[in-house]
Amino acid sequence: MKQKIFFTGFLLLFFSMQLMAQNPKQLIAAVNKKFNSVQDYSADLKMDFNIPSVNIQTIKGKVFFKKPNKFRVRTHGIVFLPKENPAYALTLLADTNSYTALISGEEKIGNSVCEVVNVIPNKDGDMILGKFWIDAKTALVMRSQLTTKSNGTIQIDNTYAENNTLPSKILFTVDIAKFKIPKALAVDINSKSSNNKNYNNRTSGFITLHFSNYKVNQKLQDAVFTEPEK
Amino acid sequence: MLQLTLVELYKIITKPRSYIGFLAVTIVILLIQFALYLQGDSYINFVFQNLQQTFVMQGKILNGNQICFIILQTLILQMPLMVALVTGDLISGEAATGTIRLLATKPFSRIQILLSKYFAGTIYTICLVAWLGLLALGLSLLIFGNGDIIVIKSESLIILRSTDVLWRFMFAFLVAIISLVVVSSFSMMLSCFTDNSIGPIIISMAVIIVFTIIGTIEVPIFDYIKPFLFTTHMIIWRNLFDNPLDKMQIIESLSVLLLHIAVFLGISLYHFNNKDIQS
Repeated sequence: MKQKIFFTGFLLLFFSMQLMAQNPKQLIAAVNKKFNSVQDYSADLKMDFNIPSVNIQTIKGKVFFKKPNKFRVRTHGIVFLPKENPAYALTLLADTNSYTALISGEEKIGNSVCEVVNVIPNKDGDMILGKFWIDAKTALVMRSQLTTKSNGTIQIDNTYAENNTLPSKILFTVDIAKFKIPKALAVDINSKSSNNKNYNNRTSGFITLHFSNYKVNQKLQDAVFTEPEK
Repeated sequence: MLQLTLVELYKIITKPRSYIGFLAVTIVILLIQFALYLQGDSYINFVFQNLQQTFVMQGKILNGNQICFIILQTLILQMPLMVALVTGDLISGEAATGTIRLLATKPFSRIQILLSKYFAGTIYTICLVAWLGLLALGLSLLIFGNGDIIVIKSESLIILRSTDVLWRFMFAFLVAIISLVVVSSFSMMLSCFTDNSIGPIIISMAVIIVFTIIGTIEVPIFDYIKPFLFTTHMIIWRNLFDNPLDKMQIIESLSVLLLHIAVFLGISLYHFNNKDIQS
């Protein structure tokens, strides 16, 4: 009798979990629906850099985005930007016919319990694999990890202010090679070469973007993305 | 003393070789500016190629400040040679022509005579650095505009904002003047010991070249020698573009350079004061 009750309980739990589990298409559709409400935005931007062997101070500027994939950062000075723009992951998810999505598990990021969705492109291109940590409750992408042929792996961690569709902070983690040029070219006569035995010479660099004063759906002109820097 | 210094300056001005340095600085700077104006992007792409695999570098990289920095690091090794060309001749040149005896008969002490030559040589050095600054920074800013600097080191990069750069350049030029005064003091010291005008110039150039080569080669045995070479401390101007500044290192190097000036000048004064001038 005890065995029957245990078995029935197990079956009920199993099927209820199956019902609760998200279908990746539904999950992505919810993300896309939320992102569809944003046609363009501009915001104030503060950028922090933690890139090994690059000493660069925090810089402020403005950021502009317009669908489908126009993105521009404007600063008064030199900045290092990741090759993928912050909206690249969402733009990628929007074209649901171009990939196959699979849920590979559940992970907790901060206070959010996220479904881990693997996205495999249907066509051979630069993108090899996309991995998205989606909070099913809010339909927000909390983390994405993109592996491309040209740029290696890049991880994007998003932090959202309450009830916001757009992130207040984005942390890019990129895989970079150690910077090294001949001493003669740098005329760096007094310096000594580091005794780094790490022959792989690859490490991680971090770029943090802090967004504030979002202005959404202002019908930004295309010229904003093309006019030269002053 | 002022009159004597002005006379010495007049002698420098009337010598054609005094203009070689100015001409060389002008040609090199104009060539670098012209080349970077036409093909600066290729240079930038070559230097930053491995970073550009991962990042998009945004901003005006080829700007006046950056060009000035590139010029300084290219020219700073050659500038001492141009200074030695003039200051190495100040005493020995007159000894070779016999005018030093005539000068010694005037109502000035030998110390005054030597110091006036030393001050004239220093003024010449300041003028050369000022000309370098005017062309390298002033003209570059005029052609390429203002902007941030990327300080390129062999294993790292430092990006300095344009608002944080001008004072560094001013101090760098000041350090360049002190460094070049070391060379002028050294060549003048050698000049006191010979009656041949070419000898001190050649020896000064040879010493600078040898010291620079020792500083460049990464052999452990040279690590013990390097701190004692004035050429090691002459390129301390580059440390002014570090962030944060290693103030102790800068002060230490400046102290070593000033000590060299004092020692070279002291030896010059002692020897010239006691020298048996026969020609």
